[in-house]
Amino acid sequence: MARDAKDLEALVLVRVVRLNAVVAGVVTGLLAGLAVFVATNWLVLKGGRVVGPHLALLGQYFIGYRVSFVGSLIGFAWAFAIGFLAGAAVVWIYNRLAGLRDFSGAGPR
Amino acid sequence: MGPGTRVVVIGAGPAGLTAARELARRGVRPVVLEQSAIVGGLSRTESYRGYHFDMGGHRFFTKMDEVRKIWQDVLGPEFLRRPRMSRIYYNGRFFNYPLKPFNALAGLGVWRALLVVLSYLRWQVFPYRHEDTFEQWVTNRFGRRLFLTFFKTYTEKVWGIPCSELRAEWAAQRIKGLSLRSAIVSMFVKPGTSIKTLIEEFDYPRLGPGMMWRAVAQEVREGAGAVRLDSEVTAIRRRDMRVEGVVVTTAGRIEEIGGDHFVSSMPVTELVRRLTPPAPAAILEAARRLTYRDFLTVCLIVNRPDPFPDNWIYVHSPEVQVGRIQNFRSWSPDMVPEPGRSSLGLEYFCREGDALWTMSDAELIRLGKRELERIGLAREAEIADGCVFRVPKAYPVYDAGYRDALDQVRGYVDGLENLQTIGRNGLHRYDNQDHAMLTGLLAVRNLMDRERHDLWSVNTEGEYHEELAEAEEVEAVAGAVEGRLAEIFPKVDGVALGIATGTVTGLLLALATLILVLKGGPVVGPNLGLLAQFLPGYTVTGAGSLLGLFYGLTVGFLVGWGFALLRNAVLFLSLAVLRRRAQLRLLKRFLEFV
Repeated sequence: MARDAKDLEALVLVRVVRLNAVVAGVVTGLLAGLAVFVATNWLVLKGGRVVGPHLALLGQYFIGYRVSFVGSLIGFAWAFAIGFLAGAAVVWIYNRLAGLRDFSGAGPR
Repeated sequence: MGPGTRVVVIGAGPAGLTAARELARRGVRPVVLEQSAIVGGLSRTESYRGYHFDMGGHRFFTKMDEVRKIWQDVLGPEFLRRPRMSRIYYNGRFFNYPLKPFNALAGLGVWRALLVVLSYLRWQVFPYRHEDTFEQWVTNRFGRRLFLTFFKTYTEKVWGIPCSELRAEWAAQRIKGLSLRSAIVSMFVKPGTSIKTLIEEFDYPRLGPGMMWRAVAQEVREGAGAVRLDSEVTAIRRRDMRVEGVVVTTAGRIEEIGGDHFVSSMPVTELVRRLTPPAPAAILEAARRLTYRDFLTVCLIVNRPDPFPDNWIYVHSPEVQVGRIQNFRSWSPDMVPEPGRSSLGLEYFCREGDALWTMSDAELIRLGKRELERIGLAREAEIADGCVFRVPKAYPVYDAGYRDALDQVRGYVDGLENLQTIGRNGLHRYDNQDHAMLTGLLAVRNLMDRERHDLWSVNTEGEYHEELAEAEEVEAVAGAVEGRLAEIFPKVDGVALGIATGTVTGLLLALATLILVLKGGPVVGPNLGLLAQFLPGYTVTGAGSLLGLFYGLTVGFLVGWGFALLRNAVLFLSLAVLRRRAQLRLLKRFLEFV
């Protein structure tokens, strides 16, 4: 009902959530790292004449990265680092902006 | 305030007697003035030839420890734990109450059950746009078919006005808070068996609630207080805003009783009318606008031990006038002195002075017999005897104008410096016996301990009913959660998340472009350059990195903002669904709110 919805609106989704930058960074880093790790090893296991020519292009950014098992570990480390920085940066910026825009009184955590 | 202080308590119902008992326990000798011949007020138990009749049916359940303690202290072993059974009679059939889905569907039949479901869906999709009346409020939530089947006739019998004229606020006030609370509880705690127990059993004094109030009156007397019956307060004398005494009429004898403090559970409307000198005209007019619903009980003694197993039956069928039928042996076997007989109470909701109210007792007994036979619970020939008891001012009516009128009356009464009003009618509030008792207790604390309890606010924070009581741990969780919903369910700021995601995406794309540009080579970034397929104008160049920054900002903003929007919407919808489920669960017990 419209009236019920209004009642609910007054109770929930009022205050703005603050996120934890470190947690977000670790989560994003792990996801990115695992994606690179799994993708690399997937291609390694599939094998072939030329293994993962396109994925190998990540080597342009991730120094030392190759489409090999060792490369997957290096890729994990790079992707984790980049993912951590990106995730933490998003949350850091979000918290600053949300703090500026939120007048409900909830302070940053 | 010492033992010599004179305190006059008007009314010997649960509120007045609780106040008097507390005063007596503290060494004060209260004088309780009761206009009727027995104590108990709206919770009284009437008697006829050894049969006991509870006026209205009062289960003893409370969430308040201090009230529970009084009950146990006063009656203790005289309490019985009774099984509860109640049903609805409608359209020639009996439905379990609280409603059980399969029983209700079987009672309605396949075709009608289907219509109920379709009606529910129809009103979910196309509800009334404005909810001004009780009818619209219920229909929007449960569908028109369910409204007509289970809400309309009984509500109209109880309140005497069409559901289309009952204000929606009344329903919302009595049900809204509950549904939210139930939703909260269902979100965090899985209901345990204790709820079931409370629904299926209740405590009850062996000889009805009157047994409790007779015992309390006795305690007051033993504490050197006085409980005077047949003593009607006909005038309340005041000097300015201080009450100096009351004029009491006892068997035609008029006397004035002075006092230092006054605690009144008489209807606040009567209190205002009986002030001498009179209250201002505007206050008298406001009091006149406050109305009540009354009822009478036709008590029939049946030559059969168990006509039906229920404690009570709600009678929805419009072809009979009776609204509810009590089976007193099911409340307590000791209410019925003869083992081969039973006693039933047919409750007729009416208004003082209307056709039912003024009907003679003999006519009412004939009416009761006829209707009992028509429902099929007993044959007229089986009725051995009968009597009638009238209960005036049983329910304060929450009509459209009551709130404004009550605020005016309250504003004036609160100005009487040495008088407090308590109880259902003293406060003109549809509360239960235990809340009435609490107002009596708090009034004494205001008086003797200089505490400052607002008696008008007791139980306004969300009405509750005994069947909705949860186990203590559930209560604790619900209570803790209820006030902190805003913190538990915050929103994600879409704009902030959009800008943050956009900024990081844009910077990553610009950085990725610049790295390749700086690395150089015969063909710079042929693969990254494929992004131009999606981002027109993008190239792996210095200028392209700026365009990439812009594209990253835009796309990242949309992704972040969209994520926040979806997350907030999904959370809100899931809460709305939970709430709706809770409301549907309440449907099982909807009559508690009528």
